[in-house]
Amino acid sequence: MWENRCKVAVSGVGFSKVTRSAEVPLAAHALTAVKEAVADAGLKMSDLDGLATYPELPATGHAEVDGISIVSVNCMMAMLKLPNLSWHIQVGTTNIGGAVQQAVNALLAGVCKYAVVWRAMHNPRGTYQNLPGAYAQGAAQFMAPYGFGGPGQGMAVAYTRWLERHNQNREKMATLAVTQRRHTQHNPHAYFYGTPLTREDYLNSRMVAYPFCLFDCDIPVQGAVAIVLTTADRARDLKPRPAYLAGYGQRLHFEVAGRIGSLADYMEGGRSSAKLTWERSGFSPQDVDVAQIYDGFSASVIYGLESYGFCKEGEALDFIQDGRIELDGELPLNTFGGSLGTGRIHGLWHIIEGALQASDRAGSRQVKGANVSFVGASAPIVTGTTFIFVREPY
Amino acid sequence: MSDWSKATRPIPVPNEWTKPFWDAANRGVLELQRCQSCGHFQHPPYATCTQCVATDLKFEAVRGAGTIYAYTIMYHTGDKRFASVVPYASIIVELDAAPGALMAGNLLEAEYTEAKVGRRVEVVFEKLNDNITLPQFRLARTNSTE
Repeated sequence: MWENRCKVAVSGVGFSKVTRSAEVPLAAHALTAVKEAVADAGLKMSDLDGLATYPELPATGHAEVDGISIVSVNCMMAMLKLPNLSWHIQVGTTNIGGAVQQAVNALLAGVCKYAVVWRAMHNPRGTYQNLPGAYAQGAAQFMAPYGFGGPGQGMAVAYTRWLERHNQNREKMATLAVTQRRHTQHNPHAYFYGTPLTREDYLNSRMVAYPFCLFDCDIPVQGAVAIVLTTADRARDLKPRPAYLAGYGQRLHFEVAGRIGSLADYMEGGRSSAKLTWERSGFSPQDVDVAQIYDGFSASVIYGLESYGFCKEGEALDFIQDGRIELDGELPLNTFGGSLGTGRIHGLWHIIEGALQASDRAGSRQVKGANVSFVGASAPIVTGTTFIFVREPY
Repeated sequence: MSDWSKATRPIPVPNEWTKPFWDAANRGVLELQRCQSCGHFQHPPYATCTQCVATDLKFEAVRGAGTIYAYTIMYHTGDKRFASVVPYASIIVELDAAPGALMAGNLLEAEYTEAKVGRRVEVVFEKLNDNITLPQFRLARTNSTE
């Protein structure tokens, strides 16, 4: 087991308004989320001394303007002018989970005391994957000429492979979409709060990139979420109950740029990350009381459930049936609604929910008696990270 | 059936790694990068062998027979270059001669509903201009399994 388990905790979380389009500059969303997270922790802004994010805009063909379409560390630094700032980082090889892990490392190293991590997401005007251009350069030269554009198709090919190899039926995914949308109704910050979804809605919705229909894809939104982390001893002096970090991992597998990821690559990404997390925390999938698994595209949940070890390969769509992922089920899943419910903010919201469940702060969606809270943030192959938060340090 | 003459395919821009592939395709030959040390075929071309990390790589001709490894049917019309041909099948092919070297293509000369994992396909060549010819695939007409 990891000698640093339960030595860092999540103490505050914050949310901006989530809107379909950009009504105010993204920097304002990020600022709201950060201030709310600091206030939630019972801290003053001047207590903050660490900053971390992953600022990427996953849309294609749009200008990257700091403060408008991304919110970088430099942008946040310039806005906040923190008097006690002592550390900051922006990550690349992992998504936002990597920024959280770097903040954990900085806290353990003693180079900062209270770190904030935010994820701000822009929804650009016009087509999200804006792919004009008469030429295909670099890795795209082997994909774009065949009409492979955005990430949806890349994820879709692995999904058809999975479905047909395991003789499975995409209609079973309706259970995930409908259950998560029901969970969403307990999360007032979510984009789809107040908007129910039925099985019929799912089954009758238009195809986007088969096997993905509209409700298999998270909706692009504008918004930001933030999280305050500190050392366990400091966390115990703060107002909210701490969510202790028991262990984390990151994907250790990657294929060379442009190579088409096989289903086996997806699985290896998730397996390698989860293995580190199970070993460091000392827990196994059977110990988990509640799980958040990244769901930007619904099929990511399949690869997550299987590669992290919650069920066998080929079984995930059967595993999610029969009430198993309900709030009172055997493995309550994406209890905040997931990205399919909140809108596309990436994996920090999954991490936030994992922490809230572990600290008994999830309100009407709280899973009773949840102690071991698992998070798989980001799609396993691409930028996957995994976490376990616990209520009781051990 | 999609009328591909209505799609505006982006033209591949060969670079120092990929030029031999496109030069061969222009001659109507499918050539993939092969490691001269371990014999592994790979695609797309890369600086090193993705299996044994050797750097002695050469392009060698391969037979264009394989199976559909995976596919997706595109319905979304966000990409205006392909909006007039939806729904269409974009497929991933694993060649018999180069296991693991996955290639993208479209399923030509067939309804998109014909795309299924495991279906036998064979390479055909689609000329885009004087310099670039795309390797493409259609359902196999010969019953060869290599």
